[in-house]
Amino acid sequence: MTTSEHTGRIFDVRRFSTHDGGGIRTTVFFKGCPLRCAWCHNPEGIDFGRRPLWFAGKCIGCGSCAEAARFGGVRRTETGIAVDPAAEEDWDAILDACPTGALRWDSRDVRVDDLMELIRRDMPFYAHGGGGATLSGGDPLMQADFARELLLRCREEGVHTAIETELHAPEEAVQAVLPLVDLIYADLKLLDGGLHRHWTGVGNERILSNLEALLTGPLSERLILRTPLIPEITATEENLRAIAAWLARRNSAVRWELLNYNPLAAAKYPLVGREYSLQENLPRFSAEQMEAFAELARSAGVKNVFFE
Amino acid sequence: MARTPRIETLLQKMRSQKRYASIEQARIITRSYQQNEDAPRILQRALALKAALEEIGIAIEPEERIVGNRTAGVRYGVVFPESGSNWVDREFENLPTRLQDRFEVHPEDIEIFRREIHPYWQGKSLEDVLRARYGEEFDALGMVVKVNQKDHAQGHICPDCDAWLKLGPAGLLKQARQGEAQSDGEKQLFYRAVAITMEGAIAFMRRYADLAACMALECPDDAQNLRMVAQNCEHLAERPAQSFHEALQSLWFLFVILQMESNASSFSPGRLDRILWPWYEADVKAGRLDAEDALELIECLWLKFNQIVYMRNAHSAKYFAGFPIGFNVALGGVDDEGRDFSNALSFLMLQAQKDLGLPQPNLSVRLHEGIGDELLKEAIRVVAKGSGMPQFFNDRAVIPALEALGVSEKDARNYAIVGCVELTTQGNNLGWSDAAMFNMNKVLELTLNGGRCLLTGRQLAPDYGDLTTYDTFEALEAAFQHHLDDFMDRMMAACEVVERAHQELLPSPFLSSVIRDCMERGVDVTAGGAHYNFSGIQMIQVANLADSLEAVKKLVYDEKRISRQELLDALRADFVGYDRLRAMLLNRAPKYGNDVDAVDSLGVKWAEYFKRRLGSFTNLRGGPCHTGMYTVSAHVPMGENVGASPDGRKARQPLADGGMSPVYGRDIEGPTAVLKSVSKLDRTLTSNGGLLNMKFLPSFFATESGIDKFACFLRTLVDLEIPHIQFNVVRREDLIEAQRNPEKYQSLTVRVAGYTAYFVELARELQNEIIARTSYDDI
Repeated sequence: MTTSEHTGRIFDVRRFSTHDGGGIRTTVFFKGCPLRCAWCHNPEGIDFGRRPLWFAGKCIGCGSCAEAARFGGVRRTETGIAVDPAAEEDWDAILDACPTGALRWDSRDVRVDDLMELIRRDMPFYAHGGGGATLSGGDPLMQADFARELLLRCREEGVHTAIETELHAPEEAVQAVLPLVDLIYADLKLLDGGLHRHWTGVGNERILSNLEALLTGPLSERLILRTPLIPEITATEENLRAIAAWLARRNSAVRWELLNYNPLAAAKYPLVGREYSLQENLPRFSAEQMEAFAELARSAGVKNVFFE
Repeated sequence: MARTPRIETLLQKMRSQKRYASIEQARIITRSYQQNEDAPRILQRALALKAALEEIGIAIEPEERIVGNRTAGVRYGVVFPESGSNWVDREFENLPTRLQDRFEVHPEDIEIFRREIHPYWQGKSLEDVLRARYGEEFDALGMVVKVNQKDHAQGHICPDCDAWLKLGPAGLLKQARQGEAQSDGEKQLFYRAVAITMEGAIAFMRRYADLAACMALECPDDAQNLRMVAQNCEHLAERPAQSFHEALQSLWFLFVILQMESNASSFSPGRLDRILWPWYEADVKAGRLDAEDALELIECLWLKFNQIVYMRNAHSAKYFAGFPIGFNVALGGVDDEGRDFSNALSFLMLQAQKDLGLPQPNLSVRLHEGIGDELLKEAIRVVAKGSGMPQFFNDRAVIPALEALGVSEKDARNYAIVGCVELTTQGNNLGWSDAAMFNMNKVLELTLNGGRCLLTGRQLAPDYGDLTTYDTFEALEAAFQHHLDDFMDRMMAACEVVERAHQELLPSPFLSSVIRDCMERGVDVTAGGAHYNFSGIQMIQVANLADSLEAVKKLVYDEKRISRQELLDALRADFVGYDRLRAMLLNRAPKYGNDVDAVDSLGVKWAEYFKRRLGSFTNLRGGPCHTGMYTVSAHVPMGENVGASPDGRKARQPLADGGMSPVYGRDIEGPTAVLKSVSKLDRTLTSNGGLLNMKFLPSFFATESGIDKFACFLRTLVDLEIPHIQFNVVRREDLIEAQRNPEKYQSLTVRVAGYTAYFVELARELQNEIIARTSYDDI
């Protein structure tokens, strides 16, 4: 068995994940993402940097944190506290003073061993229905070395693995990680490079080139391509047709999943001091609308389109 | 499949009837005792039952295919003076308005009760005798130990349905007469008493036959059905059941009569898919029956299971809220050789639950490694309908646990469930599964506070020191053990007093005739005639206990973040002025239910200790004592007895629900972590029954993929050897809305504990508590 002192930065480990792979899974959320999608579900995972987060609902307003702060990192306000993550504070001491855990780090650095210990805890559940571990984020490819070690360990211990990635990574990172994964979820949001840059902050050249290699190579059978349907942005006839045509030319048998819009994402933004830039009250698509999107994609030449 | 028009009609009729308190049987019993003053008790009991069977008012709905009840009205609360009528005297006027389990009252009944019935039983009923003998000690123990069966007969029994179906009252009468002829003394009396009750049973069935035959003349639309009913009842009075329809009718008569003899909670049919299979198979093969007709008959029986409720006193109704009567039916499981057992009836009975969604029967599915996906997924689909049923039991936990108690492999494999979650062998066991509930958290409170109650200041136990005098956590644990030992000794002495009074006052010849070995030995079931004789004690509540001990160990002794004096002061002040300290207790120590060994192991340690020590006691019938981990709804009143606790719980707040469940809202690592924590409790800790509650929102079951994942979850539960799990599938908003507009939510059923009740019939605090239970959204 390999052991390692290598650490990775994660912002959550969620047991009993029932999406993103077969059976019952433990999902590890890697911190840091190269994209800045306007509709991101996990805004707390975007920045690689670590910061304290304040959960107002858990706070009892005892002021222990403000008492422990020496340089204005935490101040009491009328509605609770104001946190300045940039202040030169002994943050560990401040967070330790909080009796409720309302003020806590947004992420933690863990060793592969510790993470494996957590993943191993639900081994009895993985035994049925093909469960296992899912690497999500953020994007695990941002911490390729760590992801690779974790995957090697899962392989040694017989844990099925899945990954969710944007594929916006150097080819070496892709090569180092993806061959070790049993099930690959890769996103393709927009085929138009300009729109992609507008809505996600980066162009899609690298994504398309990595994706092309996957679609035409030996890993294609482990691949599920995903497109989140964001109203009026990705969920347009033009975009879906374009993606479908692009896919059909490379691998018309690829599994392609359409993900319904999740309006709940907006609720997380204030927590991390970000603003949700999309219109908040757009509803999810109905089953009929989803079927219409799927039919559109199929008609453009991709056979295997599905949604939940 | 939808309900047939007949079922729809019967359901409407049942719902529209008001629940009344009834003194009819009490009058008959009292008169019978007065006429037989000098007879031995067992004959008095038999004669009183026979008189009731011959005289009690009966009624039939023209559409009914299965008939019979213990009163002419449905869902009547029966006053039962042999067990106790003091509480009825005290509470009669309040029955229509009390908080939990209300009944309407005819004012003239109160008068008759006070004139004719109550005076006769003063000093004679079980309740009065026990109060005179041991009342002070019951009171002194009350905050820590609730000793049960002090004012009602022992139920929680799975009768030998196979024998009843094969012999019927006529066959049993013959056996009893033979026994009487071949014996003398006590045994002869026993057989004579059994024979008397069988004469009563035969007369009872004939009365229904006559009534149905008369009604057939008056109700031309239903004449065919009523003639069939009349014929069935007439046959059953004479010979064993010969068709599926007769078998169902026969079983229902059995349970009605058992209720009339004992008026006790939870006589359970057991594995009906197995018991009824020979009749179903024969009828189907002969072309006399098809699945559709069988389903309607099953639904007719299911309706009947909802027509008997059990009227408890106000205090007891808090512990067992919502009229649980515990007609527990177990489906699936393994056969005698350990192979998968299920058949068409298993599926039809699940279908009946799907169609009706009623609180009874309490439907259980037995899981094991070899259960087919088809039955497992169908059961999950029924759970998804939201009635909280079926609940699931795990053969891999239960069978070895019963074997460890001395049950044979064959009997263990054929186990069933009585009442809520109590485990039993079928047809040969007086399990006395509800002997007492032991509040371990109150004992911890007394340990921390020098034997003194935090709520009243009363000295309830010796002063072995308090939190400030225990220099180490080990010293605290030693004092805790000392207190546990004391209260266990006192509890077992009290249980023995109760059992002895049941032997003297409530011998049960009719029941004994359907419990194996009683007829062979000529010994009544209360006197130890059954093949197995257990006593079950519930440990209340491991989650709070583990959380409290871990908080003290970690924050006070290990990390010294809180001083001993400060914590004791905070507990005495119910945390008023100690918000920060309480927040630390709640958040800075790990909690049971999150798969954290440090805290889980403390719960395991003390549960194991309790079980081991309890195992050294033998009950009055010579059988073993064992542990269970379920509370029914007692976590609310038992919580009312406990002051502020180191797990951060405020005084008088409910304890964790269920029995093995974490404290609601503290299981933040999700359902798999809950199962992992629970799995650390060895299966032998729950040989009397364990209860794990979980709540899922309906969205989880909306897709087949969700149902698949749920099947994986349950299969892992089997592997983890967890004895039980049940699910509430309702949305929070539904419940809040039901509280606001109860009239719109009459049919909403929820899983209270080991049983399902109508939500709107529960007291408000219990409703609130159910709303507060953890729910998992579709993650």
